[in-house]
Parts: sequence; structure tokens; C-alpha cells
Amino acid sequence: MKWIAEVFSLASLFFPIFCNASDAPVGSVNRLKGTASIVRKNQVTPARIGEKIYMMDALKTGRDGSLGVIFKDDTLLSIGPQSEIIISEFLFSPAEGKLSIGTRLLRGSAIYLTGIIGKLSLESVRFETPVANIGVRGTKFAVKIGEATPGTP
Amino acid sequence: MVHKTVFIFWCSIFLLISCAPKKTLVVLLPDDTGQAGEVIVESKGGTQVLTEPHQATEVKAADVSPTAPVTLKEEEVLRIFGKALDALPEPPIRFLLYFISGTSELTAESKMQIPQILHTIEVRNSKAITIVGHTDRVGSREKNQILGLERAVSIKNALVSHGVDPSGIGVVSHGEDNPSVETEDDVPEPLNRRVEITIR
Repeated sequence: MKWIAEVFSLASLFFPIFCNASDAPVGSVNRLKGTASIVRKNQVTPARIGEKIYMMDALKTGRDGSLGVIFKDDTLLSIGPQSEIIISEFLFSPAEGKLSIGTRLLRGSAIYLTGIIGKLSLESVRFETPVANIGVRGTKFAVKIGEATPGTP
Repeated sequence: MVHKTVFIFWCSIFLLISCAPKKTLVVLLPDDTGQAGEVIVESKGGTQVLTEPHQATEVKAADVSPTAPVTLKEEEVLRIFGKALDALPEPPIRFLLYFISGTSELTAESKMQIPQILHTIEVRNSKAITIVGHTDRVGSREKNQILGLERAVSIKNALVSHGVDPSGIGVVSHGEDNPSVETEDDVPEPLNRRVEITIR
């Protein structure tokens, strides 16, 4: 038992480094329906519940697919069918004031609910689409690319 | 002639695809309390601010200003976003449990919280539980690192003994390094002798 504790205590010395490294997970898949995949460094893998998400991952869904992610800072993000979104930025070190979360929706639909980063620093939350930037003063919004919408002129 | 028609046909297909609509619809949603925050939608052509629940604006192209906000009916929001809304995770739930000094034994009060924690895990069908163990600053930093882990592991074991799948539980110790109340070294502080359980 003791060696395990020692490994953890060693790991904790390096914890701040792990926190900042861009190769640390930024969140994980929490909900999943139908076909969905994760594109990481040109490798496509099917998404699974509990799977870790990293910065620069692209999340993609098929015609019947949808996917929900919880980020480390409790930001919640989901995408509907035939969607693609890139996690372009994630920094979460409140103690050092390093905060940023950036996502880029390329197609389809998304729901976004801001987490701790949004509470601590509004200007650190960025959401982009091919034609628009969305600044978030809180807390929950929906974005859809492409479809004509009755109701909007 | 036929070739020309075919050429024009393919050209128009190409144009349709390359001009595929990238226009963006943004809708402000009420949060769980029914309140809506505020989002600012910006294109190279201009800016619009949404402040009311279900208010929407559309950006038709990058250099065009977002349309004046209109309020969508809830049915319409559900029609457009229903599947994405269904996929939005629930916010994580956190529990704090406190320990008797120097031990991984829960205080009587914290023990009574275990059923509620088990219930939450069951209702959510959670497979992503993290348990972080902490200590106060009584004793050496090294020993507290171990004590924090023992606390976290003891809670994991308690959950597993009630049927929670161990593969969905992550355990870590922050020892005395992440107190909820800052103290001098060797000061006992009941609020720092804790584990934090996050259920996602």
C-alpha cells in the first residue's frame, strides 16, 4: 500500500506541470447516442462514455449521433447530429490566473453551459463558428450552423 | 453541347457546395433557474446582444451584421436543438466528507451522508467518480500525503462494498497541500480533514 502512496506523493510534486501541459485531458465524454467519433492527430476513434478529451480534439457525430462532454472546469458542451466541433483551447489553473476555453463549431448544432472559467473570467470563454464569434456573459446558449430558421428574418 | 451542359451542371454543383451555408443561428437559453445570461454575437459586419430567454439572432455571412434579435417559441428551439439538448450532461455533483483527526474514519455526521452519495451515483448511473483526499497540517507533509490517499481509498472501498463499479472511480491525494482553510503548520483544522467526491 505504501508504495502506491509514494507514487502519488511523487506525482503530486509534478502536479502543477501536469495541469498546464497541453497533453493533459481537458474533459471527458459523458453522454453518447448513435455514431460519434473523436479525431485526434488525424486518427479517428469511435467515442465512448468516459473517454478523455484533449485540446485540439475534434468531436464528430453521424446522422443519428449526439455527444455530451463535461470539461475539467464543469463547462458542459453537447453536439447534435451531423456536427463537428474542435476544442481549440483549454487552460484551467485558477491559482495562477490562467484561464481560457475555446471551441470552434464547424457544422451542425451545439449547446453550451459555462463552467468555472466563465464564472471567474468572462472574456476567457470563446465560441467560434465559420462566420461569427460568440462572447459569453453567461450561461447557456445554443448554436446551429446552416439551417434556415423560420422566426428569424 | 452535351459536354457544355454537363460542365455547367458540375460547375453549379461545385458552387452550391463551396457556398454551402455556414450561416450561424445563436439562441440564448434559460439556465436551470429559468434566468438567462447574456451572449454577444459578433461578425465582421457588426454585433448583436441577446439578453432574454430564447432570443435568437442569425449571422448570414461573415461580413454581414447579425440580424435583429427575435424571440423563438420553445417548440421551435426544441425542434432545432432537441437532440443536442438531450445530449447535454448534468452538472457534476460534489460531496464533502470529514474525518476524525489523524485517521481515515469519518465523523458521525459525514457517515450519515453515504446513503445520499450512493443514491446520487445510482440515479445518474455515473461511471466517472473522482475522490480527492485531503488532510490538515498536523504531522509531516509526506505522512499527510499518505493519509489523504488512505482517506480517499477508504471512501472508494465503502462505495465499492455497496456495489459501485470500482473501474469508474478515480482516487488521488492532495495531502495537506490543498486546504479549504489556510493554516500554519501543525495546526489541527477539522474542515481540512476531508475528501471531495465528484460525481459526473
